[in-house]
Amino acid sequence: MKELENQGKKQITDPLSEIINIDRLVHSPARLSILTYLSVVEEGDAVYLLNQTGLTWGNLSANVTRLQEAGYIEVVKEFKDKKPHTLLKLTDRGRKAFHDYQNKMRGLLDVQTD
Amino acid sequence: MDTSDQKNLERRVFTSFFQAGIIEAFTGIILLQLGVAALFSRSGFGDWESALLTLPIALILLIAVFLVRRFVVIPRLGRVKFLPERRRKLSKLILVPTLTLIAGAVVGYIFSENDSLRHIFVGLIPFSLVSIIVFSAAAYFLDMKRLYVYGAVVGLIFPLGKYLETVIVSRNTLPATILFTAFVFLGMATVFLVDFLRKYHEPEV
Repeated sequence: MKELENQGKKQITDPLSEIINIDRLVHSPARLSILTYLSVVEEGDAVYLLNQTGLTWGNLSANVTRLQEAGYIEVVKEFKDKKPHTLLKLTDRGRKAFHDYQNKMRGLLDVQTD
Repeated sequence: MDTSDQKNLERRVFTSFFQAGIIEAFTGIILLQLGVAALFSRSGFGDWESALLTLPIALILLIAVFLVRRFVVIPRLGRVKFLPERRRKLSKLILVPTLTLIAGAVVGYIFSENDSLRHIFVGLIPFSLVSIIVFSAAAYFLDMKRLYVYGAVVGLIFPLGKYLETVIVSRNTLPATILFTAFVFLGMATVFLVDFLRKYHEPEV
């Protein structure tokens, strides 16, 4: 009987405990938005992200730096038509982190709706 | 976000690159060329001669559209390399209309050599069929439903023009119908472009 109670508790507490382990780097709305829009393309430049996410240059730049430092995105700075051009790409690590985050959040939301 | 959500987002991102009226401008220019060629043809020039005479103007206008895309649209929307799945779809998009147009041209040539078949070709069926196939392929591969409507509209021009010719009894009714539709498409392209320019500004780095 006690074992069953424990099992019941475990079923409820385990998925919810995942919220503690959620990747906070991905969890921020701005960074989540950047990762989401980079996940649907192979690579895109800063203007693309600026338009799609609606972030300001400063905000985009700060969050891109944090994602780059974590190894989630790759940033290539180059000159195109004599103008600076920043190309961004999701790394394998970043893609995995994004998918893990999606799965964890989905699991959490499923527990909430159950 | 599950796979279907991600696919929808990818489709939304992809279609956002066509909101500046480029497709409408492209369609309008092709129709403009056909309309002017039809006018020439009714002024005594041969069918192929008229088409060749109007082709350079159409090419210049098409190059202008590509330049607008290159120097006005892309700097405002950003540069993106889409996923391999989308790139495969795009290569199919180029292949299907190309094969259809080649098939149409071959059938057209065969029909034009035969006097009894010539009338059918120049008038109706192949042009409408080619338009519907090309636009349907574009609608399917670009995930843009409005292109089905464009296909139906363009496909209807010749039958409608021919019908109006019998009602109004004027030599220039068919070219006028084509030109009217061309200007509708070019008008739409202008409205889309103006709206796009209002919404998006070239970002200052």
